[in-house]
Amino acid sequence: MKNQKRVIYNLIIVLTVAFLSLLPVSLLGNKQASAADNSKRIKIVFWHEMTGPAQTQLNEFVKQFNKSQSKYQVVSQFEGTYEEAVQKILNTHESNTSPAVFQSADISVSQLYHSGYITKVQKFIDKDKSFNVNDISSVARAFYSQKGELLGMPFNTSQPVLYYNASLLKKYNITPPPMNPSYSDITRVAKQLYQRSNKKVKGMTMEVYGWLFDQLIANSGNYSVNNQNGRLATPTKASFINSGSLKAMEWIQENVKSGDFINYGSGTNASANEMAAFLSGKLGIFMESSADIGQLTLGMKNQKLGVTYYPHADGQKANGVAIGGAALWISNDKSSEVQQGAWNFIKYLESAKNQATWQKATGYLALNKNSKKTKTLKNLYKKNPALKVPSEQLAKTVPNNSNSGIFVEGIVQERIILNTALDQIYNGSNIKSSLTQAEEAMNSYIKNNNRANGWRY
Amino acid sequence: MEEENNLLDAKKQNILENSKKSILANKISVKKNDKFYALLFLGPSLLLLILFIFYPMLKTIYLSLFLTNGNGQNTVFVGLENYVSLLTSSTYLASLGSTFVYVIGVSVLTIFLGLLLASTASKNVRGSVFFRTIFSSTMGVSISVSAIFWLFIFNPSIGILNQVAAFFHLPILNWSTDPNLAMISVIISTVWMNLGFAFLVLFSAFESLPLSLYEETAIEGVGPVYRFMHVTIPLISPTLFFVSIITLIESFKSFGLIDLMTAGGPNNATNMLVYQIYQNAFLNGNYSQASAESVILTIIIAILTFIQFKYLEKKVSY
Repeated sequence: MKNQKRVIYNLIIVLTVAFLSLLPVSLLGNKQASAADNSKRIKIVFWHEMTGPAQTQLNEFVKQFNKSQSKYQVVSQFEGTYEEAVQKILNTHESNTSPAVFQSADISVSQLYHSGYITKVQKFIDKDKSFNVNDISSVARAFYSQKGELLGMPFNTSQPVLYYNASLLKKYNITPPPMNPSYSDITRVAKQLYQRSNKKVKGMTMEVYGWLFDQLIANSGNYSVNNQNGRLATPTKASFINSGSLKAMEWIQENVKSGDFINYGSGTNASANEMAAFLSGKLGIFMESSADIGQLTLGMKNQKLGVTYYPHADGQKANGVAIGGAALWISNDKSSEVQQGAWNFIKYLESAKNQATWQKATGYLALNKNSKKTKTLKNLYKKNPALKVPSEQLAKTVPNNSNSGIFVEGIVQERIILNTALDQIYNGSNIKSSLTQAEEAMNSYIKNNNRANGWRY
Repeated sequence: MEEENNLLDAKKQNILENSKKSILANKISVKKNDKFYALLFLGPSLLLLILFIFYPMLKTIYLSLFLTNGNGQNTVFVGLENYVSLLTSSTYLASLGSTFVYVIGVSVLTIFLGLLLASTASKNVRGSVFFRTIFSSTMGVSISVSAIFWLFIFNPSIGILNQVAAFFHLPILNWSTDPNLAMISVIISTVWMNLGFAFLVLFSAFESLPLSLYEETAIEGVGPVYRFMHVTIPLISPTLFFVSIITLIESFKSFGLIDLMTAGGPNNATNMLVYQIYQNAFLNGNYSQASAESVILTIIIAILTFIQFKYLEKKVSY
């Protein structure tokens, strides 16, 4: 009996202490909410997938936007990788946790278009006379458009480019490749580098990455899937085998055979290895997103970085490459007032000044044509002319159905399938048979996806 | 008198029967109470199991019979088509094959090396305490840390392994990019990761071995190999059995190291079953296919565990 009483007393004491310790927390919470006076503002939940310096800058933009007006309060939330985020967006639609505006990557355009969950930004562009959409890069807009309507607003944008170690080339007395190089230009430099360094420096690499393969096809003016990359109608078949892809893969295999090509495999591991080798002077040339430019200039302190346009086949003009990166989308499950706030936020991010700041902070390309007139970008280009190359490539490209991305669902799957084929080709397999296997795998994926969506297949 | 006697007998019998009945009734009531208490105490865990294990399991089977559309909804009922397409797809079968290579490689090497280390560390020699700590230390290393430093070791350009090879004029190997070598490098790092646990458990089994038996075998003049095979192994067989099952199941489920080191590449060489499920469910949003893959994986693990219990356990002497 005595013991029982003691237990009860102890319990009461513990509970009282717990209650008392929680009390000030709850009082404080109330105070904070009233102090900020955000209750009158309309809350705009913004989901993004940016990390590192890009995240810091994005949060800075959010802070500045909230300060610049008193009607809306943008709340930014980090949601992991692009692939994870798009699943969350689709799964939370019409729940109270879903975002009003979100960032979603190049791979999800078709999926979001067909989801029926978004309000096309074209709707706001048509109404808003203060915003001139022609200021925004036409190649980037073409990527996120369907049937002449802009679906999401391009935001963080990159382009594939070719990097070379200019100091290394100078050391071995090799003429650098031209600004708009052909395959044979690159082969020449890679071979010379490999031979003149006594095989100590590898000439070139291209990561096993379906995106880079698709870009080689785009630059040749061909299509990765039928119906002109899905722009004319729902795609029903992959078309990985075309004159562009065959020439590109023959070019790679030629370099593999002569030993100047090194294969780093696929995945983040591969890009890290590639970068490490390039920075330590053991690799001369590689192709990757222009988004790497910041990291490269930082890493190459005593060496000079060279940048050129994405390479193209010999005897043929470059068609231009598609953009990479992500766009900002508006959900249609929020009130028109909230959607308007989301649009105002997007408009704010697209201004010439903010786009210039964005490029300086992150390496993503400024999409506003007026950004290059800003002091920020002028100073940046003066300090490092190499940074200008991707922007020029973007500005020079004329959009068409070949270089505006692939409008098909399951691009993640497409990349995995293509990586398998690239792996095989790099290891010496027959190009046509590897790509045929990839086509078959993608065809069955497209067929099942079209069935599941109730489309023609 | 006889009638009276008869009456008495009848009464006695009545009483007897009644008492029997009451005992029976009591028994039944006890049983009823038992069931009530059993339900009361098992109820919460049963509820949790139903909610988090059985319901998802059944739902997974259900989902695997549909096609998933772009919004992640299951729209078209296709029966067993997902299973058929999986079991006829060359990539899936290849991944099945590589999973088996990986699992067998990891399990055998982990147990073999674990035994080797444990038997060495159990010898009472100078510094053995130090080595015990070193051998079990991989348990304290997180997967991401070990993945990163193995990546540095295997890096084709700046990795230690290739630098050492270059120094001795040995051939330079592309560890993480050559399909066969990538599998070996993933196996090596997984074995290294698992070794700490296997060592610790096996070592504790070695420590509990009765000394007297060893003294007897020493007197009998039995050689060390014979003693190890016929005395030590049977004595630690329950622990060995436990370690082998745990290692097998764990290596089937291993995900972190593969995600960080190879992400399933190169050329799908390290694309294990679990990694494919992750890719399909969380990167592709193809829930139905991922569900079908999960069901197949569950069946495989269940069969293997069953075989282990059926055949291996017979050799275990408790």
